[in-house]
Amino acid sequence: MPLLQVTNLRKSYGKHTSVDGISFEIEQGRCVALLGPNGAGKTTTLRMLAGLLQPTSGAISFDGSHPGMDYRRALGYLPQAPAFYGWMSGMEYVTFAAKLSGSGSKEAASMAATAIERVGLTQDARRRIGGYSGGMKQRLGLAQALVHRPRLLLLDEPVSALDPLGRREVMELLRDIREETTVLFSTHVLHDAEEICDDIILMNRGLIAEQGALSQLRSKYSLPVIRMRTEKNDGALKWLETLASKPFIVEARLSGDGAVFNVSDVEVARRSILQEAASLDIPLLQFEAGSSTLEDLFMKVVGA
Amino acid sequence: MKSVWVFYQKEMLELLRSYKLLWIPVVFIILGIMQPLTTYYMPEILKASGNVPPGLLEGYVIPGAATVMAQALGQYGSMGMLVLALATMNSLSGERYSGTVEMVLVRPLTPATLVIAKWAALLTLLMIALGLGAIAAGYYIEQLIGSLSWSTVLAAASIYGLWLLCAVSMTLLFSAFLRAPVAAFLGLLLTAGLALAHSLLPSWLDWTPAALPDLSAQVLLQAGSVSLVGPCLSAGILILICMGGASLLIRRNILPN
Repeated sequence: MPLLQVTNLRKSYGKHTSVDGISFEIEQGRCVALLGPNGAGKTTTLRMLAGLLQPTSGAISFDGSHPGMDYRRALGYLPQAPAFYGWMSGMEYVTFAAKLSGSGSKEAASMAATAIERVGLTQDARRRIGGYSGGMKQRLGLAQALVHRPRLLLLDEPVSALDPLGRREVMELLRDIREETTVLFSTHVLHDAEEICDDIILMNRGLIAEQGALSQLRSKYSLPVIRMRTEKNDGALKWLETLASKPFIVEARLSGDGAVFNVSDVEVARRSILQEAASLDIPLLQFEAGSSTLEDLFMKVVGA
Repeated sequence: MKSVWVFYQKEMLELLRSYKLLWIPVVFIILGIMQPLTTYYMPEILKASGNVPPGLLEGYVIPGAATVMAQALGQYGSMGMLVLALATMNSLSGERYSGTVEMVLVRPLTPATLVIAKWAALLTLLMIALGLGAIAAGYYIEQLIGSLSWSTVLAAASIYGLWLLCAVSMTLLFSAFLRAPVAAFLGLLLTAGLALAHSLLPSWLDWTPAALPDLSAQVLLQAGSVSLVGPCLSAGILILICMGGASLLIRRNILPN
């Protein structure tokens, strides 16, 4: 039985439809990315799942319960721009959050300490949140979402506003968290989704454009492609041009020091190209064979 | 019920850390002390300002202790009310516009919980401020003018406090769906409108909460029997409507955009 089952969920504001009848399921223990460009309806969807917005129509069923049942106790939620009480300390806020989710005082204090430690804020736990950096606030947001050990974690763009370092930290945390609970997070960066997720739901303009397991989508949309880049020297560039006339190459696109070949057989093409490169002593910079055209799919959906 | 308590504790901590729990009672104490002081030292003040027509000061009689107490409580109707409205206006509106309410209401608690906790915290603040203010005023009256019956002072202050609580509740209601300054303005406007309507048509509107300030003074002056049932009942109903309305409206306005 899926942990979360969403059927025909719609949300419209007057004439404008933000989410236009989407259906999906989330299995227990999976990590699901809600992917799509800005304005696709990701945030609206998450807010409806979190019970903050009333859907115009459609049903949300949690763990097989009747649609409309209150499942907020089992929910952890981190909004896009988490706002805290600046006059509280990090520890106070997480304890407060645990108490609001129904824990007793002592229990809440120990749960909060665990969650704070988990996100690496122990050093700063006694400081006022007002003085936290963006990355620290995001980690505090994760701590408050995790503190009551929710069964489903909803995260809205958890890494989008962070610098590369903060992004790295939060992604590592997510990788860790996904081991023990079900995670649904939204992002507009395909790379983030590919990095840690099992499943992808690709949204555009309020509709689901494509959904499924990442591995499945990868093979579904993968074309036999070889991408290469060499150093900029004449010999290497000439060699790339000569490659275009090989029998196993269906289509060649050359651009400066790089080339993309659509091939008939990746195995054969890879072997013969690499052998040739080695024997001719070609200064290869990059060689990529096979799939990873999810990006193309994403761009197609976004561009459409 | 437990989450009301948790949220109430958070509210009180916020009042404390934002110093509201300090400066609002101080304002009330100053307002309370001003009345007996100015009343008692009025002849001196007038003399110091010079050119007082002769004979004016001979006729000056310091009013009775109860009258001064009633006047002192009356001070809270304007300045005190303004201070309370300013303290209330951000209560729900600030949480909505900053986004903190989104993270609170995603947890298993109802909007009513939030409103009740906020209201209870404001009631606590009001009781502390008004209580200290009345005690300070009463102390100076006892020292300078004459003795007071403290039980009557308690009764009168409670009645006056109920009127202030009505204003606070109305501001809280507006704060649930409007921006803070607008909420304070409308809360005060509505309170002033009620008071004005009552002063224009006292006999028609003597059952409304706006009759409470007058009743409070009558209790102090022990001017015959006072019928409290109508105004208290209508004040209670008004407060309940405000809280119910605030709960419903905040449900719809969790996200300000």
